[in-house]
Amino acid sequence: MKQRFSHSLVFFAGTTLCLFGQAPSEDPLAPTSLSANGRQDGNVSAPKPIRSSQAETVRKAGEDLRFGEEGARVGAAKLLGKYPGSLSSMMLVGALDDQSALVRRASMVSLAEQANNGYPLYDKSLVEKVFSKLGDPDVEVRREVTAMIPRIVSGLMRGGMEVVEINGQKVYRSVPANLRPDLHQLAIRAFSDEDAIVRQNLLKYHQYIRVALPASTLVSLLGDPDQRVQLEALGRVYSNASQRPVVEKIKELSSHPEKGIRLKVVDVARDSNRYHPAYRGILRAMTKDADPEVTSMAAVELARFGERIAGDVIERIKQYLLAARGMSSQVTTILYAVSAMGKDGVQVYRALTEHSSSKMRSIAWQRYLSLSSGWQTPEAWLPGMSDRDKGVRDAILMSLRGRVKSLKTEELGELVGSPYADVRIFAGQTLLTADQEAFDQYGFDLLIDEDTVVRSTTLRAMGVRRVTGWVRIMSRSLLDEDYVIQRVAMDALLTDRHEGVKALKEYVARNPQARISALARAELDRLGVR
Amino acid sequence: MEAQEVDALRSSGIRIVTLMRNLNATRKYPDALPSLLKTMNEETSTRFDTDPLFISELTDERLMENPILYVNCDDQPNLEFPAEELAALRRYMEQGGFVYLDAGIKASFLGADLGHSYAAWEERPEVNELFRQVYPEKSFLPLPRNHEIFRSFYKGLPKNRDLMIEANQKRLPETVLTFVEQEKWPQGTYSFVGMKVKGRLACVASPICAMGWGKDEFGSWIPPISFRIRESAENFDENLKLASFSGGTYEVTREDGLKDVIYSQLGQRPLWVKEPNGRWRIFKYYSGEEISNYAHAFYTRLGMNVFLYALLN
Repeated sequence: MKQRFSHSLVFFAGTTLCLFGQAPSEDPLAPTSLSANGRQDGNVSAPKPIRSSQAETVRKAGEDLRFGEEGARVGAAKLLGKYPGSLSSMMLVGALDDQSALVRRASMVSLAEQANNGYPLYDKSLVEKVFSKLGDPDVEVRREVTAMIPRIVSGLMRGGMEVVEINGQKVYRSVPANLRPDLHQLAIRAFSDEDAIVRQNLLKYHQYIRVALPASTLVSLLGDPDQRVQLEALGRVYSNASQRPVVEKIKELSSHPEKGIRLKVVDVARDSNRYHPAYRGILRAMTKDADPEVTSMAAVELARFGERIAGDVIERIKQYLLAARGMSSQVTTILYAVSAMGKDGVQVYRALTEHSSSKMRSIAWQRYLSLSSGWQTPEAWLPGMSDRDKGVRDAILMSLRGRVKSLKTEELGELVGSPYADVRIFAGQTLLTADQEAFDQYGFDLLIDEDTVVRSTTLRAMGVRRVTGWVRIMSRSLLDEDYVIQRVAMDALLTDRHEGVKALKEYVARNPQARISALARAELDRLGVR
Repeated sequence: MEAQEVDALRSSGIRIVTLMRNLNATRKYPDALPSLLKTMNEETSTRFDTDPLFISELTDERLMENPILYVNCDDQPNLEFPAEELAALRRYMEQGGFVYLDAGIKASFLGADLGHSYAAWEERPEVNELFRQVYPEKSFLPLPRNHEIFRSFYKGLPKNRDLMIEANQKRLPETVLTFVEQEKWPQGTYSFVGMKVKGRLACVASPICAMGWGKDEFGSWIPPISFRIRESAENFDENLKLASFSGGTYEVTREDGLKDVIYSQLGQRPLWVKEPNGRWRIFKYYSGEEISNYAHAFYTRLGMNVFLYALLN
């Protein structure tokens, strides 16, 4: 229902919009208007034929469908697809018994068209008739039937009540919402249909019609010559994952020549792990796969299970990620899943901090610092401060803020000398906890930085640390042209009831018209200082 | 292998520049171009970097460093550019750059986004307006079906072996296959228009092709694609003329320059068409695995032909 609604809504919106882009013209077959005297103007051509009503069109098509030659029956079946309704649906279903395959095909396509336009069949008898065409000799008809299963399932699987007469008495009994036994058999046989599309569709939709997939059939489909059928079958392993023949088949497929199949096997082995212990062994074997992507996927899934991964495998994962171009979904999955390796993953992330992709570097740095507690060791994260990408630097700084202990002189010096303002801002923030020697060496360098935020951050740190002469520094900063600096200085002075407040009062008295003075007066009043 | 060595190897791949005027906007087919580039690396001897280079402005200096610019017109908020970007685009084309405007053809009756394309034969109005500013003296012309761009690597339509299906398997329903082979994509061609600069085809526009390039990690095509097919039947010339209809009509330019009249009802897909020769045909819609796989195979081969043509010319 939701799909039907959104489908109609899209078309409605699109058609409305296209009315602005290209206004629809009137039907050229509409009758021309007559002149005022009731006679046709001599210049107007002969009256054009009038279109029939929908009822008439459907009626005529229905007649053609029942009594016409093959060509007319085909045309009627195609046309009826444009007029969804109970009558046209019944006519189309009736035509499914036509001796001509062309008519049956056209009828199925029209029924599918009506269903896609929001008019699926619902009457159980009609729907069962459609489904019975799963046994049609024509492959196109069978394909259409299987593709339609999701659309007809609600009619097909309806329960209800029926009245039967037993010993002369009317008895009501329920009709279960199951597939009729003969249709059920038809569905089972369709798993082995000669056509790969029919097999694939049935694998995809068999659960809708509550037809169980026997283990033997699943094993057969896992070995299907069509790769798409195989992939579909792999997606259905969960229904028989504990069966030994299925396990053996999955093991065989783990060395399939197609990488796509092997990647799917990794997924299957992961999901089926709880059903049989052999799946874990399959994953372990796949960590030796020739393709690094398969190896990496298998390894990270094992790591998620808590298993330790061999060093050579970790090296392969590292090389795979280093060579990866862009953040595809597979690469992203592996990149994040490397965390599951714990300490073993640290070396991988460390290597990836030099990847050419900035997105990769951002994630690598965050994970590296997190897994190794690298924020405690400036040698670990200082190289990241030179990264040319601001996003990467931001990612690193987010991991460091509030965690970095006191920096030594050389370490602070590296930050102060950075060409990037965000790094120097961080340097200003670290002044709060930096060694005194480091502070003395570089504090004033940051105080005269070209960037306002660097200066204000440094000033704030000086105010907190109450460096020697801090009151004088703050008082001088009140004279700065930049309001942000003035504000920081004011806030710092307000924290000291004696010297700080006194200095602020003096400033306000000498500079009553200054921008910061109004706020300063208000703050002083709040403190009860006159 | 050290990171620098890996970088050096990587940097030898040809980079495709992709315009995304709003880099944070959602792309309709994000897997499309990377999948196509990966397929090209697997099936040809070219080496493309599978990570497209995204730019948000045509004045980005990196554009001039790379030979091909790909633009999905549906992914842009509009095609209105300031003067300096128009100048940059002209300079790019004159210095040998190739521009591929995907969804540069879009029949107006489709509306903003009905999720399907229609093979009209003229560029969409926004593209026309854009290039009237870039090259006022030039115009887009339909590429003939025998143009080399349709044969630069792949020739013809996909066969069973190309689709990796069994030899005796029906690759498409019969009416669909007939229409595809004779009208929709004869010999693997499509409705393209192009513009030449200094005697060289420097810009092409087509209906959306990227929808047919994407693959997931298992190698399955994404997203599903359906077909719109024109079908005729006995007495349709009379029947469709008189059949009940309460919608509107839209004119669309055909390959031969004449106009088809499309009959479309509110809230539904186009119903039927009256062709210039007086013939009436009905539109039928086909979906399913075989349809989608075939379409994807075709669009991928076509995309490869376009990019390889751009590289070689």
